[in-house]
Amino acid sequence: MSTLPLHHYLVVGAVLFALGMIGFLARRNLIVMFLCVEMMLQGVALNLVAFARYRGNLQGQSFVLFILTVAACEAGIALALVLTLYRSRHTLDVSAWQDLREANLEPTIDEEPLPAEPEAAPEPKLTPAGIEPVHHEETSHV
Amino acid sequence: MSDLAAFLWLIPALPLFAAVLIAFLGPRLLRGQSHWPCLLAVAGSCILSFLVLAAVVGWIRTGSETPYDVLYQKYTWFHAGNLEVSFGLRADPLSAIMLVTVTFVGSFIALFAVGYMHGDEGYPRFFAEIALFVFAMTLLVSADNFLLLYAGWEGVGLCSYLLIGFWFTKPSAAAAARKAFLVTRLGDVGLLIGIVLLWWGSGYRLEYDDVFRNIEARPYLVPTACLLLFCGAVGKSAQFPLHVWLPDAMEGPTPVSALIHAATMVTAGVYLVARCTPLFTDAPHVQLLVAGIGGFTALFAALIALTQNDLKRVLAYSTISQLGYMFLALGSAVMLHDAGGENNTLVTFAVTAAIFHLFTHAFFKALLFLSAGSVMHAMGGVIDMRRFGGLRRLVPITHVTFLCGAAALAGVPLLSGFWSKDEILGAALNASSEAESYRAAYGILFLVGLVTAGLTAFYAFRAYFMTFWGEERIPEEAGHHAHESPPVMTIPLVVLAVGAVAVGAVVGPLTHWFGGLLHHLPDMTAQEEHPGNLLLMVVSGAVALLGIGLAWWMYVVNPGLPAELAKRFKLLYEMSLNKFDVDELYDSFVVRPLAGFAEFCRLVDHYVIDSIVDLIGHAVRLFADIVFRPMQNGLVQFYALAMVLGLTVFLIALARAL
Repeated sequence: MSTLPLHHYLVVGAVLFALGMIGFLARRNLIVMFLCVEMMLQGVALNLVAFARYRGNLQGQSFVLFILTVAACEAGIALALVLTLYRSRHTLDVSAWQDLREANLEPTIDEEPLPAEPEAAPEPKLTPAGIEPVHHEETSHV
Repeated sequence: MSDLAAFLWLIPALPLFAAVLIAFLGPRLLRGQSHWPCLLAVAGSCILSFLVLAAVVGWIRTGSETPYDVLYQKYTWFHAGNLEVSFGLRADPLSAIMLVTVTFVGSFIALFAVGYMHGDEGYPRFFAEIALFVFAMTLLVSADNFLLLYAGWEGVGLCSYLLIGFWFTKPSAAAAARKAFLVTRLGDVGLLIGIVLLWWGSGYRLEYDDVFRNIEARPYLVPTACLLLFCGAVGKSAQFPLHVWLPDAMEGPTPVSALIHAATMVTAGVYLVARCTPLFTDAPHVQLLVAGIGGFTALFAALIALTQNDLKRVLAYSTISQLGYMFLALGSAVMLHDAGGENNTLVTFAVTAAIFHLFTHAFFKALLFLSAGSVMHAMGGVIDMRRFGGLRRLVPITHVTFLCGAAALAGVPLLSGFWSKDEILGAALNASSEAESYRAAYGILFLVGLVTAGLTAFYAFRAYFMTFWGEERIPEEAGHHAHESPPVMTIPLVVLAVGAVAVGAVVGPLTHWFGGLLHHLPDMTAQEEHPGNLLLMVVSGAVALLGIGLAWWMYVVNPGLPAELAKRFKLLYEMSLNKFDVDELYDSFVVRPLAGFAEFCRLVDHYVIDSIVDLIGHAVRLFADIVFRPMQNGLVQFYALAMVLGLTVFLIALARAL
């Protein structure tokens, strides 16, 4: 079984990291940006594993296990945040949040606006079931 | 005797303990009973002081084991580099006499204050501060090194400040306290520099004996060091250029005036110079200055006291004058260099005279102040002599005690003041006839002393006659209850009166006890039997009686005469009444320029320094406004790009550095 030299792995890791970075800087969709961040993380993890193999010890591997664990937690939180953000603005465009800028600054407006998204389907709601209970008029005993 | 030395530390410690106790428990628990810890502690110190004195006397009788008859006790206090300070207490004859004076007079003054301060709002505070003062003063006189002495010195200064400003809601009292503190501080700076100079010059020693022995390696330092030490003495003992604080210090309660500003604290300067006699005798020019300042102050203050109308102020100027006497005596301690070696008889005689006068003065001046306080108590706080008179039937005990004090102060033959003043004049006369240099100057100083003696007798009895003779007049503040003070106040008066009358004769000419004690100090030799200059005694006694007679003639026989004289010699009268305008001179040449300078500094601070600070603040805000605010444009990608660029720059720099 032939072994690839170390720099092959490192190049792949660097490419993953760079692609992730470019994606994060260039894309405005919150979910895509999040995926790009994950990709950067994987580039770093790949480097660590490669070094671990090159040096013949397990330190890099165990590091990567921790990274994966933390990445899982992070993904949970990030997706929850994305969901919340979407609920309040009904869009995944990150520039919709630019009004959090310093006061008295002009907004940055795209010369070329994004194509209009189709109207989002209304969120499903449970249909009411059963009999509505009797509402008593509240009386205060204070 | 070593077992007694083990208790030496209790003499300062008892009052300190009392002070702390009253400070913590006084306002809540003790209240009206706050005087008990103070009285018991000071009385305990007094008993211990007498034991120490007895031990020292016993040693001298039996022939001494140590060179200077010292009870000794020593711990290391701290050391840093070359500076090694021990917490050492010693009781040699000089310290023992001072301890007894301070604690004995202090006990009775504290007892007097129980009556005098009764019902005052700050009753516990008063006794805490009195106890603290006794602690600092006993520490000062029993310290065995200069630094510990300085600690006590500052301690008494602090207590003086606190007690002058005891009624601090009165603006005049607060101002007087501040003035006293600042003026004495001027001298204290000199004292501290002098101590450092001695420490350096003697090869980093602080103990008195070590310093005196080792300073001989650098004799050129001695005059400067003496001058600086004398600076401290001038400030603390209210001598001429710095005397202005003492009359104002009378704003404090009268027992404070008696204890601190007459009997004990102000004599600290005299003690310091007496303690450093071995240094001063090596600097004859400084000695002349000491004598000169002393003589001049004695005359100057006596002249002012002639016309003052405030009874306490008369006594204050009298105190300054009497302290001047003591310095006159100390300055007359000149070393004679005989063919066969050094002859120190004159030194012993002069220092003995000064300390003897200090001792008797503590009795009669404390007595006079307490009697004045008793008068003030009866008159509802009025102390202006023009507003009362003829009180001798109203306050009979105070009348007699005041008479005793005034007679002792005036130097009526056979009373305490007579003997000690006579010795001082004798010391000056000896210096004028036997000193190797400046004989004429000492001659003049002797005459100044003699004239002052006459003036002293005159003003003392002027105050006495104005207060107790003539028709009975009572100010309306006294109301209908003008009465003799309660026994708690009159008993101390009587005790001190007995002291003022008898103590001088007992320890002075009859037993030569003082001279016998003090010649055991370093640099002093045993003196032959008291020369007893009979002619001088007759002359000074006659001068004193002349002064008293003149006062009687002017204020009892011809009560209209003083006003007429004042009108005729208006200029002289007003000069004396206005205290020779020294305060005004200081005001226009020192206080106002300094206040102006301070105002200038305030303006510079306000407009220049503050503007610069404001400018720096504004510049940062402006910079941030222009550069940083536009960066916060709310675009996440922009922030991320900034991070990437920053990281890139950092990495490039790192790569270059590696």
